[in-house]
Amino acid sequence: MSGNPFDSTEEEPSASSDEILEGFLCPICRADLKSIDFLTEHFARQHAEEQDALKSVFKDIFTKAKQKILNNFDDERIRVPSAASPAASASNAAGSNGASAKPSTGRAQLNLYQNMSKQTVGAERSYFDYFQTVRNPRLERYASETNKLIIRLHRLLKDLPTDAVQRKQHEQQTVPWLDGSSVKLCPSCAKSFHIARRQHHCRLCGGIMCNDCSRFLQLENALHLASLSSTRGEPLQQLQHPDYRAIRLCQHCLWLLDTRQDMHESRTCRPLLAQVYEEIRQLQKQVTPDLEMYLKIVNSLHEGESIFTLADAGALRGKIGQVAEKIDLRSKRILTIHSEPGSREEALKKAIRLSCVQAIKERMLSLPPLPDEGYIRQIQERKRIETEQRILTEQRMAMEAHERKGLTIQAGVTPESRSFAQGSDLQSLNNWSAPQASTTVTMVDDPLIEQINIIKGYIKQAREDLNFDVVETLELNLRELQREVYERQRQSSSSARTAQLDS
Amino acid sequence: MSTFAGVGGEHSSHRCQQLFTQIKYFPLYWQNKKLVLIMNLISGIKLYIEKMCTESGPGMKIILLDKETTSIISMAFSQSDMLQREVYLFERLDSGRSNERLKYLKCIVFIRPTKQNIQLLANELRNPKYSAYFIYFSNIIPRTDIKYLAECDESESVREVKELYADYLCVNPNLFSLNLPNCMANLNWLPDSLTRSVQGITAVLLSLKLNPVIRYRAGSQVAQLLAKLIYDQTTKESSLFDFRGNVDGAAPPLLLLLDRRDDPVTPLLHQWSYQAMVHELLNIRNNRVDLSERPNVPKEFKELVLSGDQDEFYGTNMYANYGEIGSTIKQLMEEFQRKANDHKKVESINDMKNFIESYPQFKKMSGTVQKHLCIMGELSSISNKRNLFEVSELEQEIACKAEHSAQLQRIKKLIADERVDIDDAVKLVALYALRYERHANCDTSGLLQIIKTRGGNTQIVPALIEYAGTHVRQGDLFNMVRITDAVKLTRILIKGLKGVENVFTQHTPLLKETLEDVFKGRELDPMYPAINSELVPFRRPPQEVVVFIIGGATYEEAFAVHQLNNAGYRVILGGTTIHNSQSFINEVLTATSGTQFKHTKSMLKYCSPDNL
Repeated sequence: MSGNPFDSTEEEPSASSDEILEGFLCPICRADLKSIDFLTEHFARQHAEEQDALKSVFKDIFTKAKQKILNNFDDERIRVPSAASPAASASNAAGSNGASAKPSTGRAQLNLYQNMSKQTVGAERSYFDYFQTVRNPRLERYASETNKLIIRLHRLLKDLPTDAVQRKQHEQQTVPWLDGSSVKLCPSCAKSFHIARRQHHCRLCGGIMCNDCSRFLQLENALHLASLSSTRGEPLQQLQHPDYRAIRLCQHCLWLLDTRQDMHESRTCRPLLAQVYEEIRQLQKQVTPDLEMYLKIVNSLHEGESIFTLADAGALRGKIGQVAEKIDLRSKRILTIHSEPGSREEALKKAIRLSCVQAIKERMLSLPPLPDEGYIRQIQERKRIETEQRILTEQRMAMEAHERKGLTIQAGVTPESRSFAQGSDLQSLNNWSAPQASTTVTMVDDPLIEQINIIKGYIKQAREDLNFDVVETLELNLRELQREVYERQRQSSSSARTAQLDS
Repeated sequence: MSTFAGVGGEHSSHRCQQLFTQIKYFPLYWQNKKLVLIMNLISGIKLYIEKMCTESGPGMKIILLDKETTSIISMAFSQSDMLQREVYLFERLDSGRSNERLKYLKCIVFIRPTKQNIQLLANELRNPKYSAYFIYFSNIIPRTDIKYLAECDESESVREVKELYADYLCVNPNLFSLNLPNCMANLNWLPDSLTRSVQGITAVLLSLKLNPVIRYRAGSQVAQLLAKLIYDQTTKESSLFDFRGNVDGAAPPLLLLLDRRDDPVTPLLHQWSYQAMVHELLNIRNNRVDLSERPNVPKEFKELVLSGDQDEFYGTNMYANYGEIGSTIKQLMEEFQRKANDHKKVESINDMKNFIESYPQFKKMSGTVQKHLCIMGELSSISNKRNLFEVSELEQEIACKAEHSAQLQRIKKLIADERVDIDDAVKLVALYALRYERHANCDTSGLLQIIKTRGGNTQIVPALIEYAGTHVRQGDLFNMVRITDAVKLTRILIKGLKGVENVFTQHTPLLKETLEDVFKGRELDPMYPAINSELVPFRRPPQEVVVFIIGGATYEEAFAVHQLNNAGYRVILGGTTIHNSQSFINEVLTATSGTQFKHTKSMLKYCSPDNL
C-alpha cells in the first residue's frame, strides 16, 4: 500500500492508538507538511526509492488526475478517510501483536527463541584498513614490476627471430644481460659456476642463474601474457628444439607473471557450473515476490475481497510451478557437469542440488491450496450483507442525528445516495458497475471517468502479464477515483438541494 | 466516524472535521522508550554468522573453519541453514586439506586467532585456492598477526578482515560452554584452559555488548586470577568495551565468577528435567546425543541433534521433568496418529493434494516425535535397570535433609544392593561424605569399605573432599545455619512447612540462592568482591548478570537460570564445560591429581588408584 502516494498519504487505518496526529502527515517519516501539495511533493521526493519504475509511471497519471480534481475542489480539499483495507489492517494487527508479545512465564515455555529479531549484532572490529595499508604498497610495487616485465615480454616477442643466433641478439638488445664475469656463484642456489654448470640469463631481468635454477615460460603462455595474438606465434611454434619453444626466466620473474595470470583467471573464471548456478539464483530471486504475492492473494480471497480473482491465483500458482520446474532442471544439469569423483567440486554440485530441492520443497510446493469458488462466493456474499447492514445502521444513525437537530431530509435524495454510499464504502466489492455505467454515458468528458476507464484497461493488461503488484495498486486507485466521483456527485446534488431549500 | 461522514455529511461543520484527518498509530516498540538489552546467546552467534554470509555477497561460498569454530557454528546453524545462505562446502583449515582449486568460489574464513591457525591461513593466502577471502577471527587478534597475513596476501584475494566475537558454544539461549572438560590440575588453572576461559568470557561480553562489574568468589584463587585477567583485557581494549555509557543511570551489568567447589552437590545428583536427564544418562555433546552404542536403536536415530532452536518440541520441553515429558509425548503421539489416520483415509484427489501440501510439516513433526520417543525409551529403560527412582530419592534426601543415622542405614542397604549401579553407589557415598564430613559419627570409611568389596573406585570420595570439602566451600550448601541467623532460619522453616512437592526434585542448586541475593541487592562485597569497584553502583542491583562457573556448569543450574529469566531477570550462565556426574567426577580426579591430600587422612587407604 505504501507504494501508492495517494492511498497512504493521509489515512492510516488503525484500531487502537496511543497518540493522534493531525494534519498532512507523511506516513513514513511523520513530518507535518501543512498542505497536500507539499506532502505529495515531499513523498515523491523523499520516499521515491520505495516505488518501482512502473508504479511511478502510474503515479504521474494520478498526479494529473489529482490536479484536475483539486482544481475543481480548489477551496475545499476534502479528503474522506477511507475504510481500512482489510489486508493492510490485518497485517498491521499482526505486526502489533508481534511487537507486543508478552513474555509468558511458565515452566515449560521457552519463547526466548522468538526474541531473535530484536537483538542487535554484537561488537565487531575491522582490521581491513590496516590490512590494506600493509598489503597495498607491496602489491603496487609488484604490479609495477610485473607491468614492466610484460612490456619487455611484449617487445621480446613482437618480432622474435626464429634463428637461434639472431634470437639471442634480439633478446640481448631488448633486455641487457648482466655482466657475469665477476659472478662466481649462482645467486639462488649458491653453487659455483664451471664448465658443467654454465651461467644463464633471465630473458626479462637479465639476471644470472644456473640451469637448475632457470624456469621456462612456454611461448604460447608468453604470447597470451603479452596479449599478442597466437597467429603471431605460429612460426615460433615450428621451432624444433624444445628449449626454443620457451623463454628462460628466473624464479622471481616467473612468479610475478604467474601471480598476474592467476589473479586474472580468478577474476574472470566462470565455468559452466557457475553460469548455471547464476541462472538458478536468478530464478529464485524472481520467484520470491511471486510467492509473497500468491500468499497475499490467497489471504485476500479468504478475506472475501474482490481485488483478485481465483483465476489470478491459479495463474500465479502455475507460474511458480514452472519456475520450480526450471530450477529443478538446472540443478539436475549441474549434477551432470563432469568432475572428478570424490572431489570437492562433486560435493559442491551435490550440495547445490540439495539446496535447490529443499528450496523447492519448502517454499514452492508447500504453498497453501486455493479455496474453491463456491466458498469464495459464500464469503463475499456474507461480507456484502454485513457491509450493507452496517451502512443501513449508519444511515439510520445519521438520520436520527439530523432529526435531533431538527433538520429533515428530503426523501428523494436518499435512495440514490445510498447506492453511492454503498459503492464508496465497499472497497471490497465490485458492485460499482451499475451506477458507473450510467455515469460514463452522461459524463464522458469528465477527466475522472476517463481516468477510470484508462485504469481499467491497465488492470486488464497487468492481469494478463501476471503483474499482481500493479493490479493491486491499480485496483485500489480505481476505487479511490470512484469514490472521488461519488463525492463530487453527492456534493453537487447536495448543493443543488441547498439551492432548492434556499429558494 | 469515517463512514458516518461518507453518508450524511451535509454540513460544513462536518467538513471542517474532515479537513484534518486523524492518524492513529500503533504503539511502536521504540515508543516505549526503555532500552531493554536482549541477551540470547544463540542469536548472538547467529547474527554474527549471518553477518559473515551477507558481507561476503552473493555467489557460491565455502566456509573454512577450525575444530572449535566448527562446533560453534554447528550449535547455532544446521547444514541446510547454511545451504540457504549459499554456503555449500565446509572445510577444515587444520586437517584434510585438498589441493583442488575452485576459483569460482568465495571463501569465508572463520577461525580462532591461534598461532597455528594464523600460520595455516598464511599458507593458504600465499597459494589461494578460491577467488576471494573474507576472514573473520573469533576473538581479539594481535596486530602483528594481521600484518603478517597482509604480507602473505600477494594476489590481493582478501576482501575483509574482522573480529567477530563468536567464541563460545551456545547450548541454550541462556547457557554457554567452552568445552573444557578438565580445567584444573593440582587445584589450579591449566594455563590453556585459563586463556581459553578469558577469551570465551570476553567474547560473550562483546557479543552481548556488556561492560560489566566483575565480581569473583572470594578466597578462590582460580576465580580471582580469571577476574584479574578479564579485567586487564577490558581495560586494554577499552575502546571495544565502550558500550552505552550508562546514560540512563542504570546499574551496569554484572559478571559473576564462581567456583564449582562451592557446590559440588548439584553435578552429583541425578536430575529429572529433560535436558539434564538426557545429559546425565546419555551424554549430550555439542547438542548431539550419540546412541550408536545402545542396543535396539533404529538406524536413523544413532546420532540425534537436540537443539531447542531447530526442534520446537525440545525447545519448549527441555526443562520439563520426566513425568511431564511422558504425558506431552503421549499427547503428541495421539495428535500425530490422528493426523496419520487422516491421511490413511485419502479418498479424493483433493485429499491427496492436501496431504502433499502439508507434507513438510508432517514429516518434520513425525520425525520429532519419533526422535523424542526413542530418547524417552532409552531414559526409561536405564532408569528402571539402575533402580534410579530409589537412588534419586535418597540422593535428594541427603542433599536436603539432615537425618544422619536413618540416611546412613538406607545408604548401607542401597549400595550393597546389586541392582544399584556401582557408579550410583559411589555417588551416594560421595554425597554422604560431603554432607556429614564434620559429623561426629561420620562413617565414610565404612561405606567406602562396602564400595571396595563391590569393586568400585573408592578414590573418588577423598578426592572430592579435597576438591570441595568444608575447608574450601563458602556459602551454606547444606543450609547448616546457626540459630543466630534468624531470617535464614525462618526461611528454612517455611520451606519445611510447605512440604515437598516432588521427592525427586527437592534440591535447588546453590546458584539460584546466590542469584536471588544478587537481584535483591544484598551486600555482595564480603563473599563476592568486585575487581573494578569504581563501576559498582551504590546499592542498586544489576539488570543483567553473566555467571561463569569455573569447573563447569550443569543443566540443572541452567534450568534455575531459566526460571529466573522467566521471572523477568536477565541472567546468562556459562561454565568451562557442562557437567554430568560422570564428567564431574573425572574433572575432580584431574583437578586433584598431583596434590597432597591433607583433609582426608582417615580415608588414606582408599586414596590410591590401584583398585580402579
